Amino acid sequence: MRVTDHRIVDISAAATQRNQSAVADVTQQLSSGLRVSKPSDDPAAWIAAQREKVRAALNDGTSEAIQVGSERLTQTDGVLSTLAGIVSQARELAVEGSNDTQSATSRSDIGAQLSSLFDAAVAAANTTDPNGEYLLAGSKSLTQPFDSTTGVYSGDSATRGVNTDTTSTQIATTAGSNLTATNGVDVLPLLKTLATAMNANDPVTVRAALGDLDTAVKQISQVRGQTGAHMAVLDSAKAAHTALATQIQTAISDNVEIDAVSAASQLAKASQALTVSQAVTSHVLQLLNPAK
Amino acid sequence: MSDLMSLLSLGSAALSAANNGVAVATNNAANANTVGYSRQTVSFESNLLGGVTTGATGRDASNLLQTRIRASTGSLANSSQTQASISDLEDTLTSGTGLDSQLSTLFSKISQASASPTDSSLRDGVVAATRDLVLGINNRAAQIASARKDADARVYDNVPQASQLAQQLADANAIVAKSGDPAAMDHREQIAKQLTSLVGGTARIDPDGNMRFVLDGGSVLVDGLHAAKMQTAPDPTTGYLTAQVVDGGVTRDVSSQLGGSIGADITFRDTTAKKTADQLDQLAYDTATAFNTQHAANAALDGTTGNLMFVAPTAVSGAAAALTIDPTLDSNSNKLALASAGGLPGDNTGGLALFALATTKNAVGGTKTLTDAALAVVGDLGSTGAVAKSDMDRDQLVSDHLDGLRDSLSGVDTQEELTNLARFQNASSAVTKFVSTINDMLTNLIDKL
Repeated sequence: MRVTDHRIVDISAAATQRNQSAVADVTQQLSSGLRVSKPSDDPAAWIAAQREKVRAALNDGTSEAIQVGSERLTQTDGVLSTLAGIVSQARELAVEGSNDTQSATSRSDIGAQLSSLFDAAVAAANTTDPNGEYLLAGSKSLTQPFDSTTGVYSGDSATRGVNTDTTSTQIATTAGSNLTATNGVDVLPLLKTLATAMNANDPVTVRAALGDLDTAVKQISQVRGQTGAHMAVLDSAKAAHTALATQIQTAISDNVEIDAVSAASQLAKASQALTVSQAVTSHVLQLLNPAK
Repeated sequence: MSDLMSLLSLGSAALSAANNGVAVATNNAANANTVGYSRQTVSFESNLLGGVTTGATGRDASNLLQTRIRASTGSLANSSQTQASISDLEDTLTSGTGLDSQLSTLFSKISQASASPTDSSLRDGVVAATRDLVLGINNRAAQIASARKDADARVYDNVPQASQLAQQLADANAIVAKSGDPAAMDHREQIAKQLTSLVGGTARIDPDGNMRFVLDGGSVLVDGLHAAKMQTAPDPTTGYLTAQVVDGGVTRDVSSQLGGSIGADITFRDTTAKKTADQLDQLAYDTATAFNTQHAANAALDGTTGNLMFVAPTAVSGAAAALTIDPTLDSNSNKLALASAGGLPGDNTGGLALFALATTKNAVGGTKTLTDAALAVVGDLGSTGAVAKSDMDRDQLVSDHLDGLRDSLSGVDTQEELTNLARFQNASSAVTKFVSTINDMLTNLIDKL
């Protein structure tokens, strides 16, 4: 094949150009950290990485939801703990007040303490979250669920679920209906009844309420147990989310990010090839110089 | 005496032949860097009665190779322009936050708001994410429309240029027919290459020596000394330009027959970018429909149902550009419906149902999720771009290979021409010496008479 000097120069210049382009490509990858920066670089890898990013965004969203639910349940558990303490204290006072040695005056004093406990219980049961929603109101979360005077519950039994992933939900609330007769006894009205009986120097009613108080203690304990179980599920989901986030990041990295060692090796090879082609071009130009 | 005179004539002819050789070698060297120049040769023929003459100046070129080079030029121009157009659009569509990301952010915000459905800041977050998604889809619709208009503008610019080149090719046919000049043939070849680069097609040398240029669909653009005219005309249906060939009072739409860069622009405008625009319209329509359907069934914070998230699109076509957030929701996030119908403010089951749209196949006739459909808008374009890049690389390799073959046959090698020059120069010196000797002999003879 006849090869002209023009062709030799073209070939060496093209080789230099190709090698320069290779160096630029690898440098770009190293500086950006990305092997695939747009779909046409590697359509399958790009789409796989984007899908993972979508999963990550949804994972972030559900993580936030889990966090909100978890905080709500923690706050609810605190309320239930307070109520449990109040009911236990009320039972002690009821036992004391039911004793025949008590006078009307001393029962009246105990009744005053029970009234205070009732008020504290109502206040605790009507606790709101930072957003102003009543924790124990069910879906009537913008309406005070327990009557301040009677302690009667006016919320509903609805619970609220939060997304733990794209297809599952877990309960993240506890309804105040669990503290009513549907689940045992009407806890707060019981305290009110007790305080009223004590103030009225009515030991018979007080004695009759002791059994209900025992039920109330167990009832609250049971509700706390349920709440704790829900918290445990959300904690477990939270841990799964953290693991998933790591897994997603790894998948994204595998698809579109560069392997630094491999890229550095490619850069060294491309640089070496460029140096050689530049030397060849220089040599060719000297060789073909008609002025020689 | 007469023999010596004939020897002088013989020497004169030989001198002339050597000078012709010097002229051709010099011309070749002078055109070493002229694009499309084919090396010229001079042939020496001995006379029957002695002496030498030079034949017509030859041209080292192959019609078959030139035909392959023209075809390769058309393919390369087509794939390069296709790759460039797709790459530009791809860069534009992937800059900033992607639609898939905006959609997943919306779902993420819905999930958060569902966990605390009366929280006004979280509800505002959902409305803001809806607004961002609308803006993202609107912007991308505008970017695709702009890319299609740019391609249309290039068609507008290049079709008249192709028409001019067709006329120049016919004119070059006339010059070649008249002069047979090798340089004129090279010039005609260059025009044909430029024309092929613009419109694709095939050029061939007819038996009469004229170059005939035919578009891929069979429309004749140049026939001998006659060239048809090319022009653009707006398509009343699409509003874009069509390419036409006007010949003998007959006008034909040749848009689908064109290769080269004009063909690439038309294909990009009417097929590739249109598909992307259609996918985006479908995504906008499906997104608005899916969200609106669920949202209307839910109850807002005030207990009302039938509220929309987006202004309901009237048709798929144009849905992306027209997509708008529902103005009532836009101005009042309490209209975000996160409860089920009849549900109270603390109910979030409607919000959970909205979030479930993330994994439901509501797009493209129930075959894809909304986020997958959003990914496909750019992903499919990227796949087409990857194929276009591969085509371009292949065409470039073929073109480089053919350039090498052409250079091997027709290229000028300056070292070779310098050698030829020295050879002809030496021959010329020898003949000069020969003529001088004859002249001396004649002078001696005349002096002795």
